[in-house]
Amino acid sequence: MADKNYYTIDPEGKLTCMKCGVKLQKGKAKFMYLDNGFPVELPVCPKCGFIYVPEELALGKVLSVEKALEDK
Amino acid sequence: MIIEERASTHVYRQKRMFTKEELEAIEHLCVHEQPPYCNAACPLKLDTKAMVAAIATGDFDRALALYDKITPFPHILCAACEAPCERKCKLCEVGEGVSIRALENAALRFGASPKKRGLLRKKTKKAAIFGGDLFTLFLAGELCRKMYPVTVFCREDGYDAFVRSCAPELPEEVLLSSAKALSNMDISFVWNTDPIAVFSEKAGEFDLLCADFATAEAMFPGLDPDEAVMVCREHKLITGKTEGVLGAAFGAKKAALSADRLAQNLDPANTRGEEGSVETRLYTSLEGVSPSVRIPCTDAESAIAEASRCIQCRCEECIKGCAYLQHYKKFPRILTREIYNNVSIIMGDHMMNKPINACSLCGQCSVLCPNGYDMAKVCHIARENMVTTGKMPLAPHEFALMDMVFSNDEAFLCRPQPGHDRCKYVFFPGCQATAIAPATVRAAYLDLCTRLEGGVALMLGCCGAICDWAGRYEMYADTMVFLDRQLEALGHPTVIAGCPTCKRNLSKSEDLQVQGIWEVLEDIGLPEKAKRLNKPVAVHDACGARGDAETQASIRRIAQSLGCQVTQTPYEGDKSPCCGYGGLTQFTNREVAQEMTDKCLERSDLPYLSYCMACRDRFAREGRESMHLLELVYGTSADHCPDISAKRFNRLSLKKQLLEEIWNEEVTPMDLGFTIEYTPEAEAMMDDRMILKTDVVRVLQTLRETGEAIRDEETGLLLTRARLGNVTFWVKYEEVDGGYRVHRAYSHRMNIVNRL
Repeated sequence: MADKNYYTIDPEGKLTCMKCGVKLQKGKAKFMYLDNGFPVELPVCPKCGFIYVPEELALGKVLSVEKALEDK
Repeated sequence: MIIEERASTHVYRQKRMFTKEELEAIEHLCVHEQPPYCNAACPLKLDTKAMVAAIATGDFDRALALYDKITPFPHILCAACEAPCERKCKLCEVGEGVSIRALENAALRFGASPKKRGLLRKKTKKAAIFGGDLFTLFLAGELCRKMYPVTVFCREDGYDAFVRSCAPELPEEVLLSSAKALSNMDISFVWNTDPIAVFSEKAGEFDLLCADFATAEAMFPGLDPDEAVMVCREHKLITGKTEGVLGAAFGAKKAALSADRLAQNLDPANTRGEEGSVETRLYTSLEGVSPSVRIPCTDAESAIAEASRCIQCRCEECIKGCAYLQHYKKFPRILTREIYNNVSIIMGDHMMNKPINACSLCGQCSVLCPNGYDMAKVCHIARENMVTTGKMPLAPHEFALMDMVFSNDEAFLCRPQPGHDRCKYVFFPGCQATAIAPATVRAAYLDLCTRLEGGVALMLGCCGAICDWAGRYEMYADTMVFLDRQLEALGHPTVIAGCPTCKRNLSKSEDLQVQGIWEVLEDIGLPEKAKRLNKPVAVHDACGARGDAETQASIRRIAQSLGCQVTQTPYEGDKSPCCGYGGLTQFTNREVAQEMTDKCLERSDLPYLSYCMACRDRFAREGRESMHLLELVYGTSADHCPDISAKRFNRLSLKKQLLEEIWNEEVTPMDLGFTIEYTPEAEAMMDDRMILKTDVVRVLQTLRETGEAIRDEETGLLLTRARLGNVTFWVKYEEVDGGYRVHRAYSHRMNIVNRL
């Protein structure tokens, strides 16, 4: 069965890890907050595992989920 | 230091805010839902206020519908009602009350009769009425409305004669119209019958037996009906004595309810609800209400004019003055109940968290409310409760709490005056004064040192108000212990507070003597270089000085001695609203905080003179000429709207300056080893998103340690991040000679981790 992902971003080769010198790829990550986990697919460095959270995501969906969980 | 995040959403803890009795006692104070005086006086429970309001808008149909609801014979009632409502009209206190009966008459004249109710099923229990008087006439109508098959046994020979016999004193046109209305009702009449003679014969055919009192007494001499329910239990007869038209109509209403009970074989005295006129606890302010006289209701226009005199009695004293209550459009009783329920929720969404955290805790409502309803106390208890159960989100308060930690740690300073081991005084200017007006704090301290005997120590820090407002009672207790120890080391000096909130907060400690700097200045006189301001000003009273008449008066005396012409403003003194900073509203709900500031500023167009630096700052941000009293006293200016980073920088700079200037302690500035520039867009964005420059510094320091960054090939900009405490900060930057230029910054609280 396919993994459930709440959000997917493909970097499409537009992001480079400065430490490893490689392109970021779509990779598996998980947002954790107040004991809740949300699997997502975000740009991840295949070597060091650096995960990129874009500004639109942080101030959009992530913020709204944070607020919803905070008032649980 | 990291403040712990709220508990897991999977931990279900609950603590009751109040006992049922405590909650009811609090709710009882709010009289918003109490009936208006006119409604309360009417035993038939006419919604007089709504009827008059309808007429004032020209809606006579609705007015008549409301009036028609209370009686089957509105013409009869209106013609001779004793109108206790008119005597209770609030307007009687300043002039002539509203002519309610004349307005009822206008509704009958100009309103269209309400449509007949939908077809209801006839009840199976049959009612018989023996004899005719006003009571039985109304009762026939009431039982008919309740869909009982009704049969009336009477001596008269027709509708006109029956109504005339029941109400002989009524004007002829009322009699005729009422007779016509009666004839249109689904009531059977047995005319030309002696009700006494047929009673024993016919009684067995009916389930409910009713009689006028004269007939009943003739049949059962000495009968003693229970007037509360209009029933003679001994003879299972619905009857009773009534007086006047209103008494008859009310008696019939009670009797009809008893008929319902008896039809179900229930005790007529049980579960009847509240009947008759009631005492109301409503409060209505007559401030601004001019005396007026009655306008004869000769036509529709004059009736509208008369109805328009009605002030629609209601108690909204708290709501009128409070931007918070206006924002949520709820009066305190309902808000309290919803907050109580919110706190009681074990699982699920806590919809009232935001309102709980949006109150400024200023206590204005407790002064405006005629019964002292204290919404601030309710919200504060709720916050502490949420902290106890682990349900208080940290996000709304974290910035302010960390700011307080900064004030009492990195920016904290406590030193006795040079040359004094123990000091008679300690100057405590407060965290906002040092953040916004460091030059004023410096000038004040130097002045106090020069002119007061016995040594004046200095303590730069936070009084604990921030964590108290956030409901973090353990942190508050720790802060009090910390401050007590500092004061003990100084030899228990008298505290000279620069801020009314600090004064109030520190005064809670019984061992401490606390004065406001304004009181000291009145004692020792103003410094020579005090700036005279020869113009009118509006004094904004701080919420920290609520209930402190001496402070409010002292501020005005000083302002006047500086040439200020202090003008009176609405909601001044104890009634003053909060500027939007109090209770951490500025951090938890910017929209409400903005409305609070607007509410403060709508009171006057004059320059605002404050004595709390947070108020001064918020008013200045709205473009108002705004000054703190100490700025005038010391001829210094506060910074113009410093951003969140500047407020921290100011505190550190002041500490450094004073340590070097007064205590000869050199403070070596930290060398980062690299430079940071900010684009104007980044600076504005960071202030809006509550991201400090020190946060950016820490992110870039992390970058230099780990080398972790990515490049956006489209913009050429670099991105890095660091988890600092409970928050992940992202910085978008470019590398420049010797350092970085920051273009953007953002943050999120969720933690992001890799998964396989």
